[in-house]
Amino acid sequence: MTMSDQDTELDLLFAEARQAHVDLPGDLAVRILTDAEAIRLAATKTAKPKSQGFLGNLVAGLGGWQALSGLAAASVVGAWVGFAAPSFLPDPANYIMTQDASYMVANLGLEAAFLEEAE
Amino acid sequence: MPSSAHTVRGDTFAADACSDDVLLKRFAEGDAQAARLLTDRLGPRCYSVALRMLNNTAEAEDVTQEAMLRLWKVAADWVPGQAKISTWLYRVVLNLCVDLRRKKTAGTLDDVPEPEDDQPSVVDRMQQNARVDALQAALAQLPERQREAVILRHIEELSNPEIAGIMRISVEAVESLVARGKRSLTAILSGRQEELGYDHV
Repeated sequence: MTMSDQDTELDLLFAEARQAHVDLPGDLAVRILTDAEAIRLAATKTAKPKSQGFLGNLVAGLGGWQALSGLAAASVVGAWVGFAAPSFLPDPANYIMTQDASYMVANLGLEAAFLEEAE
Repeated sequence: MPSSAHTVRGDTFAADACSDDVLLKRFAEGDAQAARLLTDRLGPRCYSVALRMLNNTAEAEDVTQEAMLRLWKVAADWVPGQAKISTWLYRVVLNLCVDLRRKKTAGTLDDVPEPEDDQPSVVDRMQQNARVDALQAALAQLPERQREAVILRHIEELSNPEIAGIMRISVEAVESLVARGKRSLTAILSGRQEELGYDHV
């Protein structure tokens, strides 16, 4: 047998070895995937929460979106009362113009005695 | 590997179309399906090399599991494109095989290998082919580095540059190891010509 023949035979053996496909044993695949799942779950638990950004932080600081919606509703009502106050409420503009505290309190219907005690 | 379609996070994609890098990134992002695809793709290759290096099913399974575990651990820090995942994995497998062999030859009682269990031998697993058995037995007699080079070149069919990257040696050194390994194999197998069907030549 020549050297070339031996090389050919060796190449044939390699080819046969390649064809003899080695499958991953089923239990080994399960072990590998169990490891992967453990790593994946551990990474998920330790993952930092994503930054919420300025707006997100602001909303969170005010108590979340629910608190913010309440705040917005109260602001709208306040603005509405400012522009179209009911007739039974005193006009705030008068208080500013007169700067008379006693007049203001009298208008609110409080007793003069209360004012004296306060002084 | 069949080019079947898999559904990951609602996206349907062909598994073959996804690179190892993409799958590892998906795994790092919490995609369990990506781990399954990577195991299907890379697990058998790790196991095949470990089996041929160690000639022991239990040890080959342990090495494969450990190599894949290391892959899962580096997933979050893996930089796509920096290195080929398969190259990195082959290197891990070979290093683990070398470590295992060194541990076994350290000579303590604990390291004495247990007798083979009743699982099919390597030969049985490889289609009970006598010629493949002979090759495996001959490979086991090669010096470690020659065996690594020959297995990667002629069984795994990797290119010489890729083998050089895995073994951290030059391409010329790979060529030399492969050539010497093949010469040794020929010498070892020459005594079994009749058994291997050489006598007809």
